[in-house]
Amino acid sequence: MIKFIFKGVIRDKSRSLIPVIIVSAGVFLTVFLSSYFAGVFGDMIDLSARFTTGHVKVVTKAYAENEDQMPLDLALLEVGSLKTQLNAAYPDMEWVERIHFGGLLDVPDENGETRAQGPAIGTAIDLLSPGSTEIARMSIQESIAKGSIPSKPGEALISEGFAQKFAVSVGDEITIFGSTMNGSMMFKTFIISGTLNFGNAFLDRGAVFIDLRDAQLALDMEDASSEILGYFNDGVYNDAKALQVMESFNSGHNVPEDEFSPQMMRLVDQNELGQYLSLAEHMSSIFILVFVMAMSIVLWNTGLLGGLRRYSEYGIRLALGEEKKHIFFTTLLEAAIIGIIGSVFGTLLGLAGAYYLQTYGLNLTGMMDNVGMMMPAILRSKITPELFYIGFFPGVIATEFGNALAGYAIYKRKTSRLFKELEV
Amino acid sequence: MLALKLAFKNLLGAGLRTWLNVSVLSFAFVLIIFFNGMIDGWNRQGRKDTIAWETGKGQFWHPEYDRFDPYTIQASNGLMSDEILKETESKRLVPILVVQATAFPQGRSLAVILKGIDPMQTVLELPVSALLSDNGIDYAVIGKRMAESAKLKVGDKLLIRWRDKNGTFDAREIQIAEVFKCDVPGADNGQIYLSLRTLQEMMELKNHATYLVAGEEFEDRELENWVFRDLDFLLEDFNKIISAKKAGGSIMQIFMLLIALIAIFDTQVLSIFRRQKEIGTYIALGMTRAQVVGIFTVEGGAHSILATLLGAVYGIPLFLFLNKVGISFGVGQGMDITLAETIYPYYSIRLIISTILLVVVSATIVSYLPSRKISKMKPTDALKGKLQ
Amino acid sequence: MKILFAVFAAFAGFTAFTSPDAKEILDKVDRNMSSNNRVFESSMIIHGRRTTRTISSISYSVGTKKSFTEYLSPAREQGTKMLKLDDKLWIYSPSTDRIIQISGHMLRQSVMGSDLSYEDMLDDRKLTEVYTSSLVGKEKLGDRDAYVLDLVAKVDDAAYFAQKIWVDAERFIPLKQELFAKSGQLLKRTEFSEVRQVQGRWFPMTIVYKDMLKEGSGTEFRITSIKFDQEIPEYLFSKASLKK
Repeated sequence: MIKFIFKGVIRDKSRSLIPVIIVSAGVFLTVFLSSYFAGVFGDMIDLSARFTTGHVKVVTKAYAENEDQMPLDLALLEVGSLKTQLNAAYPDMEWVERIHFGGLLDVPDENGETRAQGPAIGTAIDLLSPGSTEIARMSIQESIAKGSIPSKPGEALISEGFAQKFAVSVGDEITIFGSTMNGSMMFKTFIISGTLNFGNAFLDRGAVFIDLRDAQLALDMEDASSEILGYFNDGVYNDAKALQVMESFNSGHNVPEDEFSPQMMRLVDQNELGQYLSLAEHMSSIFILVFVMAMSIVLWNTGLLGGLRRYSEYGIRLALGEEKKHIFFTTLLEAAIIGIIGSVFGTLLGLAGAYYLQTYGLNLTGMMDNVGMMMPAILRSKITPELFYIGFFPGVIATEFGNALAGYAIYKRKTSRLFKELEV
Repeated sequence: MLALKLAFKNLLGAGLRTWLNVSVLSFAFVLIIFFNGMIDGWNRQGRKDTIAWETGKGQFWHPEYDRFDPYTIQASNGLMSDEILKETESKRLVPILVVQATAFPQGRSLAVILKGIDPMQTVLELPVSALLSDNGIDYAVIGKRMAESAKLKVGDKLLIRWRDKNGTFDAREIQIAEVFKCDVPGADNGQIYLSLRTLQEMMELKNHATYLVAGEEFEDRELENWVFRDLDFLLEDFNKIISAKKAGGSIMQIFMLLIALIAIFDTQVLSIFRRQKEIGTYIALGMTRAQVVGIFTVEGGAHSILATLLGAVYGIPLFLFLNKVGISFGVGQGMDITLAETIYPYYSIRLIISTILLVVVSATIVSYLPSRKISKMKPTDALKGKLQ
Repeated sequence: MKILFAVFAAFAGFTAFTSPDAKEILDKVDRNMSSNNRVFESSMIIHGRRTTRTISSISYSVGTKKSFTEYLSPAREQGTKMLKLDDKLWIYSPSTDRIIQISGHMLRQSVMGSDLSYEDMLDDRKLTEVYTSSLVGKEKLGDRDAYVLDLVAKVDDAAYFAQKIWVDAERFIPLKQELFAKSGQLLKRTEFSEVRQVQGRWFPMTIVYKDMLKEGSGTEFRITSIKFDQEIPEYLFSKASLKK
């Protein structure tokens, strides 16, 4: 029976192709936009997660208390084994080390003496290992004003603002002077591989990005880092999971009496992001609900239209002696098949689109007046578990409902009338 | 107008389906206004708060001053002229002296910015009247963020060390008189407010200031030796975020509207398909095809008018309600942007009219598209209701 | 190095005294402590929150305006050189072959995590140029009798408004020094010990320097050898010598 209807649906293009396309398109839009809404409302959370808080973050207690000052002497030690443990215990998360440091950016003259200098706000992330996720996470590529991302050790990215103010450009040398983790003097000369626009007046003054390895060597931080940030592999903050991870980690590692033992914090524990997060989720669910309703109405209409087109067919079938109930049932079955095919297609397409947008983001810089911002200009969608079923509601149920409504007419109309509408 | 009257009759006659389409369109309509209203509300509040707490209607900076460069602070203050002093006495300008210092809360050291401000000032909302002291205690006022990061509360004593204008180290104990809560991180993060006179005396910089905040009543003019910084300059980062939000939101609105328009389009196709006899009748009665197209276009477009009305029915109370209670974001804290804890959406006439226009025009266009099919119909076939 | 700079700055050439008693005491201190030039090797013990490090160096100085320091160990610091001429400070790092001038807010940073800032090294005026002194009493400090002197700034731009100094009543060397803010707040304390005779002078070989506003146990400075009135070539005090 199903096989028969399925064949009918497949062979009659007017019954299958157009409705399936419309259902797919509708479901695609629903899935894609739901992820987009989640992204739009969550982008501040996302920004914070990418740049400062991670989904979870491991630091020493002493570091957490003085984080504003970027105190390297309070950094995490033995991060290698810590990371190994984290990777083993929480395999569905990615763990990355970062180092934040302060100091001086010093521009040499031809004799290697100071020509100009300014305060440096340094960040070291994994720029060089193949497949590093940090470049995308911090939108480095999108923020490049001139030059390119460092391709080998000893290269650095500096803020475009600093480069302009002190007349240095790509290919020039610049020395970072500061203190190592032990308090020793730190000198390291880098070649400027590119400049960055952050869209944040403070960072645009003296930010410098270097590779993590370079920083560890320069700052005496072999096997140490300021922090380890944890990100869920799907890129989405999940509070319940984060809480679980935090509790299990802290019970195993955090020694309250030892101010240098590692402790884990969730995103929501930091910068009071908790309330914003719940509001953002709330708002996006309202938008998604309205959207799903709207989409349902559209698909219902489509179903209705599809059903109405076939009144004459129903007439013939009734004339041939088929029971009303049976015709109605097959109509619904057809609708279900169309709805499911369309929904599966649409969901897959929507997820692919959402995944693309989640990974690469949508660069909105062109839509704004000369604003080159590091993050908010790149809109990203957010793949949430709901996406996997949210499209099915309008896709299957609304199509079904529309067809049911159209099919209902079979009962209302007299057989003779339907037959008349045949008018071959 | 016949077409319009007919259109409404037809639409209302179609019953449920019309209302479904109208609801979808009205959702889109209300959501577009809501979203923009929220961003506008945020923008207005953010601007208002920043003006009220930090920037005034503009600032006059000492030429050397650069708020993001600690290098400049030591050397970036100047003597206020008599003209300026007169303005400050009449509370039209608020002079602020900025000094770098180190605070020592519980034996830790913390780099802070001391800001000297007249406790009697009325231009900024900072509750600095708490700085008035008649018992020899040097009172200080700090923001909630600063209080949290330094773990300080009202009544706490704090040792600060600074260097006066000659570079001589000095240190004294100050007492936190008040912790204020404001949405403007720039007025809070890492800052300690002291009485201007106290700080000038601490620095031996009588009548000196780093920048002057202009109040509403300040008559716009140039001040010699001071550089005017307007709101565009002072709010640069904030404006960037708002424009980014708007750009992000506009895509969402386009999609939202698109869905509603697909629904209308779909309905139009359906109704043209089902009402061929009617179309045939119109033509038989002597209407030109263009006129019939017009009737159907107006009918489709009329969805948008109904949607506007329906949107108004539930939208206006909703907006009024939201405008009264606001939308609580509960943050602002921790993020380096000005975000009020509660945002009161702001719906401008311009926003509402432009949204109505957008909805009406786009609905009319999508109604027109399927109606074109009518002009290709053969009236005889149409009259018979024959499939085409 | 820098602690010694401060010490020499404090005691090299006290001449104008308001109190005859104070003058007599500081004259004798001056004779003990000052010399045309000196060369010393030292080690600095820095107590961090997690680790304790020892850094050794050799310093050459002439008067209080010129000094040249080369770090000897640990390997990380080896070859790093520091030149001070009047109120300017340069650091040379062999790894980058760069000479960096320390200026601006960097001057206020701690030197290698110690309780001293770069700025502390630049304060090179003689105490007598900056302060008026008076003898306020006699105290026992450990098992030594000491004169207590109060110093108050007579110029505007002294880094510390007032000082209190304890001088060994028999050997005429400083035993303790406290630095105060204008408000009277104690900011820093220096304690001198292990007094030995070097080339006929008494000299404190261990100095503990403590920033009183910060937690921690301070920075310990130990002189392993010191020689006065040596032949120091003039070219040492030039930027060119940093790269050698």
